[in-house]
Amino acid sequence: MNPAEIPLKAPSTAAEAGSEVSIHDVEQVERALIDASTRLPVLFFYTSAIVWLLIGTLLAGFTSFKLHAPDLLADYSFLTWGRIRPAHMNVMVFGWASMAGIGTSIWLMARLCRTTLRHPLLLIGGAAFWNLGVMLGVGGILAGGSTGYEWLEFPPYATIVLFVAYTLVMSWAILMFRFRRGDHIYITQWYLLGAFLWFPWVYGATQIMLFVVPVQGVMQEAVTWWCANNLLFLWFGAIGLGTAYYMIPKVIGRPVYSYHLAAIGFWTYALFASWTGMQRLVDGPFPAWMITASIAATILTIIPVATVGLNHHMTMRGYFGLLRYSPTLRFTVFGAISYTVFSLLGVFLSLRSVAGYIHFTEASIAYSHLGLYAFFTMIMFGSMYYIVPRLVGREWRYASLIKLHFWSSAYGVGLMVLMLFVAGLSQGSAMNDPTIAFNESTESILPYLRGRSVSGMLLTVAHFVFAFHFGLMLLGLGRTADVPTFLNPQEEEAVKTHL
Amino acid sequence: MNESSSAPERRVRQGMDYGETADVHQVHAAIQREKREPRVGLEPLSLWLIAIYGLAVFFGGAYLGRYSGSFGADGLDPLGGAPRPQKHGPNGPGGAETQQLSQADRGKKIFSANCATCHQANGLGVAGQYPPLSGSEYVNGGTRRLGMIVLKGLQGPLTVKGVQFGTAVMQPWDKTLTDAKIADVLTYIRQDWGNTGGPVTPEGIAALRKELASHPDSFTEPDLKAVPADAELPGGAPAAAPPGGPPNPAASPAPSPKA
Repeated sequence: MNPAEIPLKAPSTAAEAGSEVSIHDVEQVERALIDASTRLPVLFFYTSAIVWLLIGTLLAGFTSFKLHAPDLLADYSFLTWGRIRPAHMNVMVFGWASMAGIGTSIWLMARLCRTTLRHPLLLIGGAAFWNLGVMLGVGGILAGGSTGYEWLEFPPYATIVLFVAYTLVMSWAILMFRFRRGDHIYITQWYLLGAFLWFPWVYGATQIMLFVVPVQGVMQEAVTWWCANNLLFLWFGAIGLGTAYYMIPKVIGRPVYSYHLAAIGFWTYALFASWTGMQRLVDGPFPAWMITASIAATILTIIPVATVGLNHHMTMRGYFGLLRYSPTLRFTVFGAISYTVFSLLGVFLSLRSVAGYIHFTEASIAYSHLGLYAFFTMIMFGSMYYIVPRLVGREWRYASLIKLHFWSSAYGVGLMVLMLFVAGLSQGSAMNDPTIAFNESTESILPYLRGRSVSGMLLTVAHFVFAFHFGLMLLGLGRTADVPTFLNPQEEEAVKTHL
Repeated sequence: MNESSSAPERRVRQGMDYGETADVHQVHAAIQREKREPRVGLEPLSLWLIAIYGLAVFFGGAYLGRYSGSFGADGLDPLGGAPRPQKHGPNGPGGAETQQLSQADRGKKIFSANCATCHQANGLGVAGQYPPLSGSEYVNGGTRRLGMIVLKGLQGPLTVKGVQFGTAVMQPWDKTLTDAKIADVLTYIRQDWGNTGGPVTPEGIAALRKELASHPDSFTEPDLKAVPADAELPGGAPAAAPPGGPPNPAASPAPSPKA
């Protein structure tokens, strides 16, 4: 298919009706062609992401169980806690979240640039290299080659492969944007383009400062946490927000509330989020102003968070009833609400007086899961529920499986965040009390760690159910129907017209 | 509702593996029914949102001003300035609260923030890695050796209470902690956990710091052995304080499970 020219011929409805071709018909054909062009790369990214999600889930299970059953499989060096925890984290960050995010970004970008995907092979190559990079990296970690920097444990040879993969994806993104049609650049495109430029900056600068020209001493920690926090904010955060800005108005069929709010939200986010990261190191041996600057920037992220939250809320207003029916909307709105909670909690936890209690405890794990799972992963699930039917030409087979997925995920992550947060508070106050030995402070949180393992089982159920459902779709076993798979049977005509 | 329309369903099924799309219209029922690509409204900014912006900026700015440690490159204390406060006494601004604490109490805070990670809150260290402070001959002996260890760090094997420790390196603290803080923490470790040493003065540490200013590396065990076990800090001649005396009654019942 030559992407430069989209044949604008009449679809069969127009012919049947005997009327002339409407703008609406033309748009439909255009969208169909765009979707067709993105099919292979997006499905490749999605399939890889889901495989990594399952692997990461199993690793997470081991990691969690080892905290209260340390003897579990302890005889194998590659299954020790010090290796499977970074393996879990990196599989989730680079295997699952990044690949799902790139998959969704490709589709959104193609749709919004109103151009069919050029050079899909480039992206297939990118996905293959990305998989190779994650495989090498995880293998390296399990073999004992971890670099020891949190979130950046991949050995350098894996990072190089990831960079090759990223360059392939990136050149596609630039090409795609270069050949966009129409004057209008939608909000989602701002965020996606931003994410695609921020990722190499954050990741590249960190790699250079840690491995090529290493900074000295404790400053390595500063660099590491700047990177980890900004992968969360500028990479996952931007893709997640961009996706929400598309899915919510798209599904309910209503314009986004305000352009001004969107613009303020985007630019202030770009400005302030990139200063954050060091607030995780409160009381560490760093010049006070470095940490305080990050805390102040975190406080200022209230501006984009309030703005974006308000924008989404006002867009949704009057349409919350649709959460009962649309899987996409339910996952996306859950993610968007979690984003607000995650960010405001982040502000609270960064303040010196609070951080003095909860830092270096399980509470920061709770915070990371709130961001990466309750916000980002849920939005990715939502986008997959929207996009996959358009790629495979089938509807999701079982509404019951979608419901099971949603509720296991929601309860799972809710329970996990709650358990870890309470554990962190108790652990933190014990660690700050010099009369309590360190051992006692960790033993006191054992019940919460068991609770966390239970929440992990819920998430495991959710992920395997989703993977099974996705597999059915891939095999062409979805439903062939004109209506989407609703979570609940429709009750009113009014509802139907809105989905 | 989908069951009723069986004719289109059949047409869709027959040719359709999702690789081949002869009839775009039929394949993409999902696309047909979907809404237009999202557009953007132009609602104005509400006033109370602007108020939130103002609050966030004010609060963020105030926080930055309050806790920036005067933007000094070596100011670790978010409330104080850079560590040159000796001229004004042992505490920087904001020291009113800390002044009420005894030297050993202040030292205890510094200990749990900086030292307890390795030497543990109970002062027993970690077997084979970090030597104990409780009952250690280095802690209970003269103050000079202690000052040397903390200021410049220690590397290589070391024998404490007849047990050899070797793997871990102690970092030099002269860049991180002020004279007053080192004196506080040394006073604390010499008086808790049944130790019987006297207090350490900031002046003594300052004098030793000056003396060791050109000493580049961490010390090793032979370096320490070269100093007499009961040598005191230069300048300061602390009279032997009553051991475990008034300064710190609260901390003495520290739990030491193995003791």
